[in-house]
Amino acid sequence: MYAIFVLRPMIVSVQYSFYKWNGIGASTWVGFDNYLRVFTDPDLLGPIGNAFKLIVFFSFVPVVLGLAIAATTRQIAESRLASVARTVLFLPQVIPLVAAGIIWTWLLSSTGLVNQVMDAVGLNSLTRAWLGDFSTALPAVGVIGAWVLLGLCTLLLLAGISHIDPALYEAARLDGAGPWREFLSITLPSLRQEIGVCVTVTVIAALASFDIVYISTQGGPGNSSMVPGLEIYYQAFTERQVGAASALGVVLMLLVLLVVLPIQWVTKERD
Amino acid sequence: MIVRQRETITAKVLLILLMLITVLPFVSLFVTALHPSGTYPQGISWPSQPQWSNFADAFTAANMLQLLKSSSLIVLGVVPASVVFGTMAGFAFGHLRVKGHRWLFLLFVLGLTLPFEGILTPLYFQVRDMGLLNTRWAIILPLIGLFMPFAVLWMRAHFVNVPEELSEAARVDGASTWQLFWHVHVPIARPALSSLGILLFLWTWNQFLLAIVLVDDPGKRTMAGALGSFQGQFGTNIPLLCAGSLLIMAPTLIVFLIFQRQFVTALLAGSVKG
Amino acid sequence: MSHHSSPARAARLWSTVAAAALVGGTVISGCSAPGADPAAAPTAAAGPTQASEVTCGTDPVTMKGYFETGFPLPKNLTDEFTKQFPNVKWDVREDQFAVITQNAPRVLSDDPPDLMRLPQVSELVKDKLLLNLDNYAKAFGWDAWPASQLAQMRVSADGTRGTGPLYANGLNFSLTGLFYNKELAAKIGMTSAPTTLAELDAVLAKAKAAGITPIDQFNGGATGGLAFPLQNLMAAYGETGAINDWIFQKPGATIDTPSNLKAAQHLQKWITKGYFADDINSQDYAAMMSAFIGGKALFIFDGDWESGNLDKQMAGKAGFFLMPPSQAGGKQGAMSAPLTYGISAKSAHPDCAAFFLNWVATNQTAREITVSVGGSHPMGPSDAYMPAVKAGTVTAATLEAGAKVGKDNGAMDFIANATGAIYAKSWTPNLQKLVASKQTPEGMLTSVQKDYEAQIAK
Repeated sequence: MYAIFVLRPMIVSVQYSFYKWNGIGASTWVGFDNYLRVFTDPDLLGPIGNAFKLIVFFSFVPVVLGLAIAATTRQIAESRLASVARTVLFLPQVIPLVAAGIIWTWLLSSTGLVNQVMDAVGLNSLTRAWLGDFSTALPAVGVIGAWVLLGLCTLLLLAGISHIDPALYEAARLDGAGPWREFLSITLPSLRQEIGVCVTVTVIAALASFDIVYISTQGGPGNSSMVPGLEIYYQAFTERQVGAASALGVVLMLLVLLVVLPIQWVTKERD
Repeated sequence: MIVRQRETITAKVLLILLMLITVLPFVSLFVTALHPSGTYPQGISWPSQPQWSNFADAFTAANMLQLLKSSSLIVLGVVPASVVFGTMAGFAFGHLRVKGHRWLFLLFVLGLTLPFEGILTPLYFQVRDMGLLNTRWAIILPLIGLFMPFAVLWMRAHFVNVPEELSEAARVDGASTWQLFWHVHVPIARPALSSLGILLFLWTWNQFLLAIVLVDDPGKRTMAGALGSFQGQFGTNIPLLCAGSLLIMAPTLIVFLIFQRQFVTALLAGSVKG
Repeated sequence: MSHHSSPARAARLWSTVAAAALVGGTVISGCSAPGADPAAAPTAAAGPTQASEVTCGTDPVTMKGYFETGFPLPKNLTDEFTKQFPNVKWDVREDQFAVITQNAPRVLSDDPPDLMRLPQVSELVKDKLLLNLDNYAKAFGWDAWPASQLAQMRVSADGTRGTGPLYANGLNFSLTGLFYNKELAAKIGMTSAPTTLAELDAVLAKAKAAGITPIDQFNGGATGGLAFPLQNLMAAYGETGAINDWIFQKPGATIDTPSNLKAAQHLQKWITKGYFADDINSQDYAAMMSAFIGGKALFIFDGDWESGNLDKQMAGKAGFFLMPPSQAGGKQGAMSAPLTYGISAKSAHPDCAAFFLNWVATNQTAREITVSVGGSHPMGPSDAYMPAVKAGTVTAATLEAGAKVGKDNGAMDFIANATGAIYAKSWTPNLQKLVASKQTPEGMLTSVQKDYEAQIAK
């Protein structure tokens, strides 16, 4: 199964990427032309850049916020509140990403909750149709991703923290370390592996994002929130440039590996 | 001690805030779903006359029974097969250490990071040439393949930790490899198996990309795929769209709330190993 | 030696086989180039030439349809058809138009429907996916209908549209213009339709000053709805013939002309003066419709497929007029296109599908449904039966406007139909950028023309 539905398509993808084919008629060999296009055509290169910008939201925000929350809530990790939180924070993980996209499309619309809240706190000059604005569409998509992934990261890190030996913290307290020192010298190093996991999972989610963008902006306005996954879909099935779609697919696969392997290497060193 | 207490309060406030951010979108969706069908509600506001009938309307409009059936069939096609294959291959990798397992293993590790979009295009033409387009098999078969790396590595991680002595003992008793696998190793792997099952269920049920590309008929898609076309169909009617989205989310939410402990453990462990 | 192999070795062997089965095998199958020349699909016209021979027969038939979501007309027609011909059942799948556009080539070739809502046909014809309907046209006498009704669905051998064999038919032909909210219009003293572009500008300015959103339009996501006002402005500033040439891919045609530039600049003026709702870049078609029906804007640019709907949801409160000309009394143009339905070259029941298309245009009940549900003009001979329409309704206004456009010979196909991808990949992003002041009118036309040439060359 793995061979037929994963390995074969991987290889065929490389093969297609050297051809110009519309999916129906005959194909012509074009060598590296499709790859040249990926790296020169702004329609194809832009989405790759956007994917990296999404990493800030999908990855950086959940991991940093998650760390902050996990570190401060360490002491109440065993409380009732924390166990309720464990359930609640998981909700975004359980629903389909499409549903998250629909919910947030509604929240971020010009009459949605986000603008309602901003009006209420006096920020009405900033309200806008978040997903329809060139400067905010991509960040808005990022916020949706951050919402989905924040709970997961927080819980992963919290689980990691609870495995740290409390004696380490006691010792630090006796040495007169403040919460910040505690965090830097105990929490952060001990969580290296968990942080690595969070970063890996969220970076892949950012680079391979599709569902949320497909539902909320379709890559618009202009191409301001286009991501590689959606561009592959458009190239293959709207523009019928099977070769270019495959080339972009190959580049995306390599890109994910290139980004993820160093992260793995850095964070797994300890083992 | 005072410092402790202040920290505890900050922690509580933070947690509550975080939960609020998580839950508020759902509340907004729910409240909007209660507005009169066809209106254009503003933000969060409780309607003067909650229209509970919207849920019934959306249930019929979205053809929920058909969707439930379709998603269940797909899950039944994917999960058991993936679990069985994953367990057997994981056993081979983790416990038997077959010849060449290192490079085979690497192949699976690579597959773990694979974005589905990377192989989307060839997959479409392959499924088309097999004549499976617009059937549930078009989702089931590729998903089994795509879940392989995770399932195999998950089960391998389990089998690696099973003490060698257990197998030795069984072999002394004259057990064949097959018997060893089924009667000794599978039973102790039960917790790992059930977590794997839960994760695969969730990922199959929520699969969107393959559903919209390989199957055009919403009635043969997964729940998530159907939700996509539901948005296309009822985009004009925001309360109905919200009601329909809630209904489509309901099955996983209910299953999650019932088995929350297993889910949380599985998802946390799942990400660590993944 | 092999007879005393240890259990451990057997186990290894067994596992190697298992693992190899998982990984090996078909990996390196077929390294030949993908795709083949299209099979020798019938390029010549199909079907018998006698009308009496083209029927749905008497045996039970299930017709596979692929229709557009959100428009009840096709469903109403097929239901009525089944009532009249009980042996014919319909198995219909629906999608949004944008999805149909994306899916068209692969659905026609991989899962062929008997009757399908089609986007622009020229690329589908080039790939030999559509049935040539010439013999049916001859048999049923479609050639005697006003030529403009079918022109957009003819594709000649060199790929230009407008002449050549017929590859589809319409369920009706639609017309676009401005819909307005009568209550809001009364508030700012607009008592009759503007007769020149300058008058329209004045109305827009008045509405803006009165705190009413002058125009709402969908322009978000993958939908560049500003193409509606843009093309209407193009028709007001220039000749519709030249625009059609471009859409039909006549050699040497260009969209980047001085009069089109004036149109694009006029559109930009509307944008900078704030005549459009400020969130149009996030609105899809549905959002625009619910905003307009909810009384949130004075105008929308849209087509008469909404007439029936608006007569129901805004009874008496909505009106329609064609885009006014730049000079008083000038000719008026409008986008007018058949609601295109075609038959897959691989259809299992082409005769029955052709018979249905003819029935839609000629059956009295079908024509009544077309007008009352669809709001647009039915296809067919110009002297065919026309159902009566209540005066003062939007439907009456749009049918009347249709007659005016016919007289002025002002019908145009839609600029979004020039190539399969021109709308999604060129007009939409450019128009969205225009709204956000990230594109100039000149830049937009140059960019669209460049994409157009690249797409035709493919």
